Amino acid sequence: MGNFKLTTVEEFEAATAKLLETGKKVGADAWQYRVANQTPHCKFGEQGICCRICSMGPCRITPKAPRGICGCDAHGIVARNYLKFTAGGSATHSDHGREICHTLYCAKPEGPYKVKDPEKLIRIAKEWGVETEGKDIYDLAHEMAYLGMGEYGKVFGNQNFLKRAPKHTQEIWEREEIAPRAIDREVSCSLHMAHMGCSSKPEALIRQSLRAGLSDGWGGSMAGTEFSDVLFGTPKPIESEANLGVKVAENVQIVVHGHDPSLSEMICEYADDPEMIAYAKEMGAKGITVSGVCCTSNEVAMRRGIPMAGNFLQQENVVLTGACEAIVVDVQCIFPALGPLSKCFHTKFVTTSPIAQMPDSEFIRFSAESAAENAKAIVKMAIENFKNRKPELVYIPDMKQKATVGYSVEAIVKTLDGVANSQVDEMGTTKPLIECITSGVLRGAVAMVGCNNPKVRPDTAHIELMKKLIANDIVIIASGCSAQAAAKAGLMDKAAKDLCGAGLKRVCELADIPPVLHMGSCVDISRMMVLAAELAKDSGLNISQLPVVGCAPEWMSEKAVSIGNYVVATGLDTFLGVDPYVSGSDQVAELLTSGIRDWVEAAYTVEKDIDKLGDAMIARIEEKRAALGI
Amino acid sequence: MTLFDVVFSGNDTVYGLTEGAIDAAIEKHGADKAIAFPDTAYSLPCYYAVTGTKVATLGQLKEALGVVKTLMTREPRLNDAFMSGIATALCAEFIEVLKYIDGALPYEAPCYGHLADAVIRELGVPLVTGDIPGVAVILGSAPTAQEGVDLVKSYQAQGILVTLVGGIIDQCEELGYKTGANVRVIPLGKDVTSVIHVVSVAVRAALIFGNIQPGDAAGLMKYTMERVPAFVNAFAPLDPVIVACGAGAIALGFPVVTNEETFRVPKSLIVQKDVSKFNATSLEARDIKIKITHIDIPVAFASAFEGEIIRRGDMQVEFDGSRVDCCELVMTKEASEIEDHKITLIGPDIDEMPVGSKQSICYVVEVAGKSMQSDFEPVFERKFHSYLNCVEGMMHTGQRDMIRIRISKDTYEAGFRAKHIGEVLYAKVKSEFAAVVDKCQVTVYTDPAECTRIRHEVAMPLFDKRDERLTTLTDEGVDVYYSCIMCQAFSPSHVCVVTPERLGLCGAVSWLDAKATNELDPQGPCQIITKERPIDERIGEYEDVNEAVQRFSQGALEDVSLYSIIEKPMTSCGCFECICGIEPLSNGVCIANREYAGMTPIGMTFSELASMTGGGVQTPGFMGHGKHFIASKKFMKAEGGVARIVWMPKELKDQVAERLNETAKELYGIENFADMIADETIAEDPETLLAYLEEKGHPALSMEPMM
Repeated sequence: MGNFKLTTVEEFEAATAKLLETGKKVGADAWQYRVANQTPHCKFGEQGICCRICSMGPCRITPKAPRGICGCDAHGIVARNYLKFTAGGSATHSDHGREICHTLYCAKPEGPYKVKDPEKLIRIAKEWGVETEGKDIYDLAHEMAYLGMGEYGKVFGNQNFLKRAPKHTQEIWEREEIAPRAIDREVSCSLHMAHMGCSSKPEALIRQSLRAGLSDGWGGSMAGTEFSDVLFGTPKPIESEANLGVKVAENVQIVVHGHDPSLSEMICEYADDPEMIAYAKEMGAKGITVSGVCCTSNEVAMRRGIPMAGNFLQQENVVLTGACEAIVVDVQCIFPALGPLSKCFHTKFVTTSPIAQMPDSEFIRFSAESAAENAKAIVKMAIENFKNRKPELVYIPDMKQKATVGYSVEAIVKTLDGVANSQVDEMGTTKPLIECITSGVLRGAVAMVGCNNPKVRPDTAHIELMKKLIANDIVIIASGCSAQAAAKAGLMDKAAKDLCGAGLKRVCELADIPPVLHMGSCVDISRMMVLAAELAKDSGLNISQLPVVGCAPEWMSEKAVSIGNYVVATGLDTFLGVDPYVSGSDQVAELLTSGIRDWVEAAYTVEKDIDKLGDAMIARIEEKRAALGI
Repeated sequence: MTLFDVVFSGNDTVYGLTEGAIDAAIEKHGADKAIAFPDTAYSLPCYYAVTGTKVATLGQLKEALGVVKTLMTREPRLNDAFMSGIATALCAEFIEVLKYIDGALPYEAPCYGHLADAVIRELGVPLVTGDIPGVAVILGSAPTAQEGVDLVKSYQAQGILVTLVGGIIDQCEELGYKTGANVRVIPLGKDVTSVIHVVSVAVRAALIFGNIQPGDAAGLMKYTMERVPAFVNAFAPLDPVIVACGAGAIALGFPVVTNEETFRVPKSLIVQKDVSKFNATSLEARDIKIKITHIDIPVAFASAFEGEIIRRGDMQVEFDGSRVDCCELVMTKEASEIEDHKITLIGPDIDEMPVGSKQSICYVVEVAGKSMQSDFEPVFERKFHSYLNCVEGMMHTGQRDMIRIRISKDTYEAGFRAKHIGEVLYAKVKSEFAAVVDKCQVTVYTDPAECTRIRHEVAMPLFDKRDERLTTLTDEGVDVYYSCIMCQAFSPSHVCVVTPERLGLCGAVSWLDAKATNELDPQGPCQIITKERPIDERIGEYEDVNEAVQRFSQGALEDVSLYSIIEKPMTSCGCFECICGIEPLSNGVCIANREYAGMTPIGMTFSELASMTGGGVQTPGFMGHGKHFIASKKFMKAEGGVARIVWMPKELKDQVAERLNETAKELYGIENFADMIADETIAEDPETLLAYLEEKGHPALSMEPMM
């Protein structure tokens, strides 16, 4: 067992409190204060019954005013808002996927972007019916990238990746008319339906929400994940570390933040360049440390073992350490607050994407064509900023945990091969995992995903739920900020096996894995869909029959709702700890928590009491087991 | 019924029987009646180990049963199933001890029943040393007596200790198969409860050898799982009682292999319908590796033959990679793709080859293992040289696709054939790399067309890929170098210092290979050399490197530089891929590769150059090196780098041109540098060479004089 001990949320909070004191000294704002200023929140907004999609309003639904000016009732308004929320998330993930396709299109043998996993490229090409024989790998990459971008605007037909789903799931999507067509079309169609004077029928709006979600999960996100693997390598188990303690005071500190690995990969590449390291030494530092925040951190952790400084609500903390020469961001989940905050320190806040432009930042426009020069310039800028650091403001909490990360579906299958017996078992399948589940050694699996949200004590829900689940022999696959919460706590250290029930503990020992498996960033929830599909195919069960559920206890973004929709529409019950602004309509709430089960064999459960949320997941898993007689 | 329900029901059944038996015994003998197993200091060993409480009377046994009941929780979790399995085992121990009341002798030959402490102490050492690589517990009746006996025999042949419970004992008797502790086949008893006597051995081993404190159940289970290489073979039909016992075995870390269709749990409960594969399945499940000590070849195998030379006249046949397509190759595969110990010959055998002829050969060794890394492949390959040389009447030189093998007439007449090469490689790879190789198969190709295919389509791309990985590493970018003394069998004072940019002169040991060799065998031929104390960065001389070279050459060498051919050049063993030597007229160097049989402008052939460069002595002005080194930025760095190269054979030039051009462009800004270098089609004498160099404006002409 050694000296392994989880880091508690109380310890996280004590460190944050100390950092906020530094902030006070320099007059910095922080989300903690802004939450106080914004509380209480607008009740109409919270219930989803505020409508401002035309200029006759805004209309708000009350018992006295049950309909808006156009006559739309609360159910129509809530469902419309829900669909628009979904469309925002779907567009965001999918556009990220498109950027990756474009990066692949720019890949060249001489770099800076290369094809690092040609086998995977060939595999996907074959899936898509593209001839690969005798083709130069870069020609194939460009062809596939072109086709990938074509998925966004294809004139006819559905998403190519849908064929990865089990037959039964594909039939459901067909039957329910939710099989996604062109990715952009589903977003456009959603916005069209939610326009003034279009749909107000909850069933129609929620159905489109599922479809727009699926265009993300089985379309844009999946392209993002798969082609990122082709470009940067398919993740395999690798050691990393998490929490603010990964920052090394003597080194130049570069923090990457956002979602798109095209930028962070290049930054890591150049921060590792001997020339840059020598330059850093010349500037008085001992070296260069790149660490990450949010999903771009997950991307480089999964592929390079780059340490994770923190998750969503830790983004201001990395600057508050006073030891951050540059925080370099691409897209999504970036607090505009970082601009003013960076001005309180010597930190350079570098925005790079035309998609995410912010005041008080230095904008270095990053593009796949000029990636190498851009990255070099950014690293150099950080190095040259080292001398401006104010030592009296530096405080790096001595707090970090080891984490084994990098569990792509391919890596999981490879790990499972390690416990299979070549005398009796077929290799390259998920069957060993299925056997663990059917025998009862593992009760099931939970996909823990999603963000932080000040409405929930940050990280508590993620960590407490995971502790409860692993003690009950339920293995966790995690992604996004949930994965980072787990890593910060120590749940991705293999030593965490001792916190598990006897079944999961034995599995961890035999397979040499931690009980919480890091599957990547939020677009990588598409990996979880592929895993569910493989489990269903290998077991002969439907996805909805598997004792597997999804959970986003601290979610906050539009992307999370899009994700929830595709997870549910894939047949996995999904448990939320924060309400998706639908409490204003009992009809919509009923649809989401029960009605859609008739369509897609799964539905949402919303429960703000985290302990009860955990019990509900365990109960659902046991129900599914009982139904199978296992 | 779920698997756990079956365990619970079997546990309940055994508990009921135990309770009845204890009550009946108390009724008959009274609660104060003493109970004990004979010849053990650990009375009721299993119960004592799990709880820390000794049991000496029937009354205490009844109390103990109450404690056992507390283990029998019924939540649907593995912990409950494990504890119920342990409870079942403890009940079995209670039932068994009752048989020994009043000094009774409940077991008669061939059965042993309880085993004395002395037996365990005797087994301890061979279990630790691996002389007994595992303990098999065979339970029930095999489908036929013959299959049962065959299984027992297969384990016995591997040195595995076999214990028998139930019908298998009768099956052994039926076929007159000899059993007994002396032949390591121990029938325990015919009741299923007698299985506790082998569990008792494992548990007492933990107390005796593992210093596990009685009562430390978790420590006990960890010890047995990690240290006692036992496993169970349970024949169909399995009743709930056997399944409950099985849960106890799995809790202790002992996998159960059965031929009954039931739930499957990876590495724990494995269904193998084919009883003839129980052995292989069980060993894999328990990660037991059998040492191979015997190599099945008709001649001797010993290091005494390693330096043996086969002269042309004594040779039956020769395989020569410099004339025809040959190669040696290790490839990592998935376990399912490999049939262990399969040796395949594709092409004619040696008796179909004319005496004294030159033939093609490729041998591909495919390995699989859970800890295998592809970085180890070249390391295994480099050992082939030593393995094949140990065969009496066989000589091997070179590596990769530049191998030469001679087989003597005597060895051929003793019956040595192509498949025996496979046998040698199989046996050595399996035994020397047991830590990483679980399965191994060898294919020997002698068909010329197949050899061409394997060399050019399989081997060369793989070699290129390995070299490619090296290109991203620099000497400055790493903290340590490695020594390599693999060739000391031939060249006792030679030491290679392997750096990322300077691979071993044989061309086959890169820095990554050396690193992997060191990881596999930290005491082996590749040792870490630090580079913390530079003496002269220009020629690449370090105090630490010199110290290492002195040590590994047993004092024969004082100091070496890494980047100079003139000042303290590195020595050569004789395995070099290439030799470069100074050509004074042009102020440059000529390089000749082993395959090149013609003349060089220096006035010497490769063989003549080799004769004055090898043997582990420093010859300023001459140096052996790998092909890959030619395009390195560190090649003759002290003398100005690759710009000194004025001549090399055309074939070699074509091979290295692309990378060499890149290096020259980077170092000097010269485009298409390879075109400035002469070859045998241009010049074989110094004067013609000089004229060509002048015509091309070769940079060496205007460089500082070398000497």
